Amino acid sequence: MSSNKHASTLLWGATGIGALGVLGTYAAAGHERFWANWVLWFVLMFTLGLGALFIVALEHLVSARWSVPIRRIPERVATLLLPAIPVGLIALFALPVLYPGTRPEAAQNHILAGKAFWLSVPFFSVRTLIAFGLCLLGLAVLVGGSLKQDTTKDPSFNFRARKFAPAFMAIFALVVTMVAFDWISGLTPEWYSDILGVYVFAGAFLGGLAATTLAVLYLQNQDRLQGVQGDHLYNLGAFLFAFTVFWSYIGFAQYMLMWYANFPDEVIYYKVRLTGSWRVITIALASLHFILPFFALVTRAAKKDPKRLRRVAYLMLFAHVLDMYWLIFPILGKPLFSWPELSFALFFLGGILLWLRGAMEKGEDMPVGDPFLREGLEFRL
Amino acid sequence: MHPEAAIPTNAIPEGLLEPALYVGKVTPGGLDDQVLAFPETRPPKQWYFALAITLTAALIGVGCIGYTFYLGIGAWGNTSPVFWAFDIINFVFWVGIGHAGTLISAILFLFRKRWRNAIARFAEAMTIFAVICAVIFPLIHVGRPWLAYWLFPYPNQRALWTNFRSPLLWDVFAVNTYFSVSLMFWYLGLIPDIASMRDRTTSKLRKLLYTALALGWRGAATHWQHYEKAYLLLAGLATGLVLSVHSVVSFDFATSVVPGWHMTIFPPYFVAGAIFAGFAMVVIVLVVVRETMELKNLITDRHLDVMNKVILAMSCIMGYSYMMEGFTAWYSMNEYLHRGFMNIITGTYGWAGCITISCNILIPQILWFKKARTSYFWMILVAIGVTIGMWFERFVIIVISLHQDYLPSAWRIYRPTLVDFGILLGTFGIFFTLVLLFARVLPVIATTEVKAILPDAQPTHGGSHE
Amino acid sequence: MSDKAYAVLGIFDTPNALMQAIPKARAAKLGTVEAYTPYPIHGIDEALGLRKSPLGGMVLVMGVLGALVTLGGQYWISAIDYPIITGGKSAGSWEAFIPIMFEVTVLFATFTAGLGMLFLLNKLPFFGHPVLSSKAITGITRDRYALALEAEDESFDSAAAAQVLREAGALEVEVLPAPDRSPFLTSAFILRTLGGIFTACLVSGLAMFFLTKWFPLLAPMKHMQDQPRLNAQKGSTFFKDGHGMQLPVAGTVARGYLPTATGTQEAAATLVNPLPRTKEVFALGRKAYANRCEVCHGAIGNGMGSLTAAYGGKAANLQAQQFRDYPDGKIYWVLVNGKNNMPSHAPYLTVDERWAVVHYVRALQRAQNAKDEDLKVVVR
Repeated sequence: MSSNKHASTLLWGATGIGALGVLGTYAAAGHERFWANWVLWFVLMFTLGLGALFIVALEHLVSARWSVPIRRIPERVATLLLPAIPVGLIALFALPVLYPGTRPEAAQNHILAGKAFWLSVPFFSVRTLIAFGLCLLGLAVLVGGSLKQDTTKDPSFNFRARKFAPAFMAIFALVVTMVAFDWISGLTPEWYSDILGVYVFAGAFLGGLAATTLAVLYLQNQDRLQGVQGDHLYNLGAFLFAFTVFWSYIGFAQYMLMWYANFPDEVIYYKVRLTGSWRVITIALASLHFILPFFALVTRAAKKDPKRLRRVAYLMLFAHVLDMYWLIFPILGKPLFSWPELSFALFFLGGILLWLRGAMEKGEDMPVGDPFLREGLEFRL
Repeated sequence: MHPEAAIPTNAIPEGLLEPALYVGKVTPGGLDDQVLAFPETRPPKQWYFALAITLTAALIGVGCIGYTFYLGIGAWGNTSPVFWAFDIINFVFWVGIGHAGTLISAILFLFRKRWRNAIARFAEAMTIFAVICAVIFPLIHVGRPWLAYWLFPYPNQRALWTNFRSPLLWDVFAVNTYFSVSLMFWYLGLIPDIASMRDRTTSKLRKLLYTALALGWRGAATHWQHYEKAYLLLAGLATGLVLSVHSVVSFDFATSVVPGWHMTIFPPYFVAGAIFAGFAMVVIVLVVVRETMELKNLITDRHLDVMNKVILAMSCIMGYSYMMEGFTAWYSMNEYLHRGFMNIITGTYGWAGCITISCNILIPQILWFKKARTSYFWMILVAIGVTIGMWFERFVIIVISLHQDYLPSAWRIYRPTLVDFGILLGTFGIFFTLVLLFARVLPVIATTEVKAILPDAQPTHGGSHE
Repeated sequence: MSDKAYAVLGIFDTPNALMQAIPKARAAKLGTVEAYTPYPIHGIDEALGLRKSPLGGMVLVMGVLGALVTLGGQYWISAIDYPIITGGKSAGSWEAFIPIMFEVTVLFATFTAGLGMLFLLNKLPFFGHPVLSSKAITGITRDRYALALEAEDESFDSAAAAQVLREAGALEVEVLPAPDRSPFLTSAFILRTLGGIFTACLVSGLAMFFLTKWFPLLAPMKHMQDQPRLNAQKGSTFFKDGHGMQLPVAGTVARGYLPTATGTQEAAATLVNPLPRTKEVFALGRKAYANRCEVCHGAIGNGMGSLTAAYGGKAANLQAQQFRDYPDGKIYWVLVNGKNNMPSHAPYLTVDERWAVVHYVRALQRAQNAKDEDLKVVVR
């Protein structure tokens, strides 16, 4: 218990130091840099929460049984959406600073002028608010209902979740596309790629999955997930492996098509990221997000090995951060990494971990009210 | 707290339980007697009747292909600027049909969806037949098909190499790999079943044939061990392959600069569309098979229900793709993209665009209702609609995008000829002829796989339940 | 036949019975324990103590090998052996090699998985295995589960093995005789084999001959030798005059051959030679003169060409004062329209060539009547 307290103090300390750095960034390092960092961490929190909520909804959609015993973990990770909403509301102040479509000069640009209303601050904010509302709805039905079932043991939740899951998939697709097109693609509004929503989805799902895997391993270490064993871990590993490949497939497809067709308005995106110091980061992204986890998880034994899984999950989370950094930061010019980024990382990581520590105590560790829990615990490959 | 204590002991409510995978009592021996007996009995009259129809269609197609060889590509409606027309439409259509088989046999295998076991064999067979139909088209479109081997890179006295930067060459590799891998997957699955047939047949000729095909399979545990591993690996590889094949097909279009073709969403969108069309075809064939071959106890309403759900999901993904296409056409503020997209609905071929959208997006929405998912009328209506819609989707992509691109002076209307239609009809004939033959010669249900999931098929590990 | 046995088979009717019998059979240590089942049984690998299948490693190695071979091969072909720039991409652009690399990787991996499993690990096809000729095989591929105690050496005691299996719960026990190992390299066998190989060679050789020599020249495959088109020297029913080749419309002029001097010779006198007097122009003029004029007018333009000597034709002596006094335009007019016996050369000489010839004729005239200052030009 004392080590627990120790960790808690450490996290609060880190968050506090980070907060000072965040304020310092606003004062000393320029507003653009401050808001770029802020948007980066908002997108990260939001995609992690969304990815986790997608895992929950997927289980209900396809009536998966194996994941019932660990469903509480993604449900808890999905609550990250709650702190992500105020962070996102503050991020709306970044619009005039970072998003060229909201500036008055946009009227002179014939491409931006045509969709000025779409890019304008009010409509942008309305879309974001709607997305937040939809996410809250998803959280309330899927996570709230599941937590309630712990005590009521009422199977009617399963019926409701099963009915709601397809609708949530539509919500999810819209929200993820909104994140991709507004928050990410909006930074370079002249550039467009209709696959970007799928790309962000793949990254978000991987991020949520990695966070879930880490939390499962953490709770398993504390003996709080009895009955969850190698075969469940294997499935998590297999999903991590499969979606690593899927992410690379989507990323490569987008790059390859733009590289091949060589349209000036499209390739500028990759021109920025494949020259100078960004080239190194692009190569690092490909290696850390695909090559390394691919070979780390390719064997059957590796997908069951908790040690290996934990390392790969950490790697995936880092690669997800790098991925979002790679999407957002090139608008500031050269890749920036220095004390402002570090303090933002400290602040938000500390905050996220504190939140998740709290969330990990929500409800029972397993959805004990779910009638399929037994079947899930008995799952063998 | 120990979770075991908190597990509810109350029974799972009726509506949440999944219906059984088969109806009535199915035993391993009874399964063999039901499924493996087909090749040993005389086919009914209807079978000959159906075969006569499909063979006629196939012969019409072969005749049209022969006429094309004789006259040249001029026998078709292909014209400048629509140089790619029916042949590539049909190619993409048929390759797509094949994808459902791989999805069912490989991806659902990896997800351990047991309902796949009863229908996997048929779907895999359809994959192979569909790919056979598909490869006809690039082959006859090269003009001199007897020189088609020039497509492969091999050292030759012309001192030429193929161009590895051409998506069309990628296609050659993708489709050939796809065919080889599907054939391998299918054959591996068939070996234990053929061994069963070898050991039960009384006819000498069949015995010889099955003995040769079964390669001396004897069901040894040491063999099963490697066999299962190989099957798992093949499933994993086929999953990656099925994504790649239709992506490569989409690269044929998306790497170009034609408005309406150059879309980054094309690779996953083509894959989803392929699975969509393939599932529709599988539903059509399955319904006929379970009715005429009396397999209702093995291919149950649940199978059809799940398949229709997949069709519905794919329809929604297609809807998302169409939406993104339209959104990007507007968002890009690119007048070519915009015009290209509007052409789909309002252009000369606007009717084709409307057929595509209504058949692929609107009609399948009826499957939200459980009644529709289990009613033959609605599911066949949707499946035929999807088949038509997906064919027209390729028509929309290819003909509409090509007939009007950047240069208005080169715009021209495309009109297919009777030969075009004849070859299309012919591939349907070839496909269904092969399906009919398959249904009478080889086990239509993977009996070995179904046996493995019957109750009491697996030893109990000292557990108290079941 | 001796009483040597290959194995003893015990038949069970449920997988549970089989699994419970396995430890007992293994404990007896009478021979190798093997199970024969209609479908894979979960957990039987551990029960039988089988080693893990090495297939995964094989597939990984072959897959990586396929990837490297294809990537290297494509790079070598596209960037080294046959570099062609297409679509503005550099010859060694790796992006374009990825799709084929992936496909071939999958191809290598699947063939390793499928064929490696069948041929290398399971050693199939093998039609002579004793189990295949047992009575039990029809049950094994249907719904019976067999446990076999297989002889490891000469000392195998089939009776004891049968006893063990029966005690373990086998419903039936079958002793499989060791396969008959009669010598198979008999002369008849060798003859048959050699005959078979010879026939196969003959058939495939003939097939190859016809496929490569005769088949490609069949009706549709004549490599476009037979084309529905008009041949220049052949008749045609398509045109009214019955000729395949049609005359151009009256007044048709080829590009560069415009008859610029169409009036009288006197009117042409005012034309000015548009070409400068450069080395290239003189070289062009000399070539054209040698080709078209020299035969009549002679190498130095004195009207004593080889045609004059042979046939007595009288060509104009260009060195005559009359022609020396001609303005350039009048000489040009003659080239275009002809004069007396001389035909028009307009169809054979382009406008530039005609003017170059005029320059050259001027040079010939000057050369025959050189003045002192001309020498100075040479000296300087």
